[in-house]
Amino acid sequence: MANVVTENLTRVFETKSKRILALDGVSFEVQRGEVFGLLGPNGAGKTTLIRILTTLLLPTYGRALVGGFDVVKEAKKVRSIIGFSSSSERVGFDFVTARRNLWFFSQLYGTPISEANRRIEELAAMLDFQDQLDRKLYTLTTGYRQRLNIARAFINGPQVVFFDEPTNGMDVFSAKKIRELFVKEAKTNSRTIFLATHNMFEAEEVCDRVAIIDRGRILAIDSPENLKSSLSKPVVLLETDIAGASIGDPTQLEGVVGGTIKVDDENEAAKIRVILRDEDFLEKILGLLEKRRVRVFNYQRIEPTLEDVFISLVGAGFAERERGIEA
Amino acid sequence: MLGRASQRGRGALRRSFVIWVKVAVSRALIRIVAMYGDPLWIVVNVGGPMLTSLALAFLYRLAGLSSLTGFAILGGGMVSYWGNVIWSMASQLNWDKRSGMIYLYIASPAPLTALLIGMSLGGILGTLPSSIAVLIIGTLLFRPPFAPPTMAVALIFMLTLVALYGMGIALSSLYLILGRESEEVNEVLYESISFLSGIYFPSIGRFSPLPLAVQAVASLIPLTLGMDALRRTLFYAEGLTELWPNLSALAAMAVASIFIGLRTLSYIERRGRETGDILVAMK
Repeated sequence: MANVVTENLTRVFETKSKRILALDGVSFEVQRGEVFGLLGPNGAGKTTLIRILTTLLLPTYGRALVGGFDVVKEAKKVRSIIGFSSSSERVGFDFVTARRNLWFFSQLYGTPISEANRRIEELAAMLDFQDQLDRKLYTLTTGYRQRLNIARAFINGPQVVFFDEPTNGMDVFSAKKIRELFVKEAKTNSRTIFLATHNMFEAEEVCDRVAIIDRGRILAIDSPENLKSSLSKPVVLLETDIAGASIGDPTQLEGVVGGTIKVDDENEAAKIRVILRDEDFLEKILGLLEKRRVRVFNYQRIEPTLEDVFISLVGAGFAERERGIEA
Repeated sequence: MLGRASQRGRGALRRSFVIWVKVAVSRALIRIVAMYGDPLWIVVNVGGPMLTSLALAFLYRLAGLSSLTGFAILGGGMVSYWGNVIWSMASQLNWDKRSGMIYLYIASPAPLTALLIGMSLGGILGTLPSSIAVLIIGTLLFRPPFAPPTMAVALIFMLTLVALYGMGIALSSLYLILGRESEEVNEVLYESISFLSGIYFPSIGRFSPLPLAVQAVASLIPLTLGMDALRRTLFYAEGLTELWPNLSALAAMAVASIFIGLRTLSYIERRGRETGDILVAMK
């Protein structure tokens, strides 16, 4: 059963000087008990989509249903069955304990007090912060505050839970706990977890399916494994010494579909990751780099990641795309 | 068939009412807990008004106006409410917007009206102890000539608070369109309204030192009418028959400001959903 349905969802932001197409005809379905990832660089339209699905923003065209309810016409019904958390909002009230904060948010949904107390204990146990429950919020470390923020999104026992960059800036241990919770809540309680992220590792680890989004359009939707295996082109990692060399933009070389480059200025080295049209182009590229006095001291064919899928679809990596959006 | 539909309608109405009450009560409780969770708040909100009102009471006494020390004590008791309305009530939704909390409210079934009413109730109940503390200490020190409190005093006090917090609801909604400048607006409003409303001196009526035009402007502030009525009942033993104009105006102001506040809030929420305007702070 589909818990989230979008049909030709479009959102345009208009200012006096420009018109921005933030979402462009987005259509997909997310099932009950599914962890669904929306993967794309900053500015791709992830947050706009989440805001529409959580009733914070109206679509310009198209329609969206959450739990079978229309997000425009039945916003109140949608609100009572969803949970929502983004890394950008505050967790709650500083001079109030974590427990009291969670209780307050449970009351926004009219949750019976005994039920709220049970959920608070249960979520604190799952996210390992029971011993922090009776501490005031301002005394909690960032990691615990972030865990509390995630617990808050589940406090009303929602049918669909939306997260916008939930583990952004989070310590590794907290992020792991949270990912485990996502999977458990989806599989044991049949909740739909809708996750907007630009964290490839996260998308690969927890998502049953991932939609790759760029410039407001969904480019591909499938399981992470299928998306990666659909990339038939070879991905090569070149480790180079760039001292005294003019490296240029290796992703623009002939035979390269797209790629990323990470320059280590301190050691005058660079890691170039390229997707080749076919393996024959490797020799050619090595030759061209040699002409530019770039010494390649290691190269190997590597397993593709979701970012490689993204690169093969749009020709640039997340960072390059974000720089393009800023420009 | 019709009966079942009507039953469903009643059930939905009951659920909405239960949520409304729960949201208002929990918001009130959180406000009280948050107020007393910050020790500095207690010092500022009890200590500040107390010192100002004692200083003014001393001044009245030194000027040979001992009979007016009660004005200063009463002002000390009431100023905490005004401070609470402007600093904790008016700015709250703006702060909620800047911190992203308002989106959690909008994305939940909680009615914003219940949150605002809860905030007001919490503010009133949370401020009560500090207000009483100032009144008791001031009365013990200066023994001002209070007339025995009557039902009229209780009624005026409650109506003043309703009108004052109604103004807080209206300001809270209007502040949603402001950014960081809300803090400067607060400073300006706090000082000018504190002066015009005559918290520590009669700013309207026959004892007012202010020109008539300024008195007319001051009369548009609920706190002015409330303070005037309280002074007249407590120090001049006037009753409801003399004070009905103040009471009627306070009631009208309370209704108007709550109505304006709630309508503004619903307009801003709707506009925010259409344009994404109020989402700007949430990045």
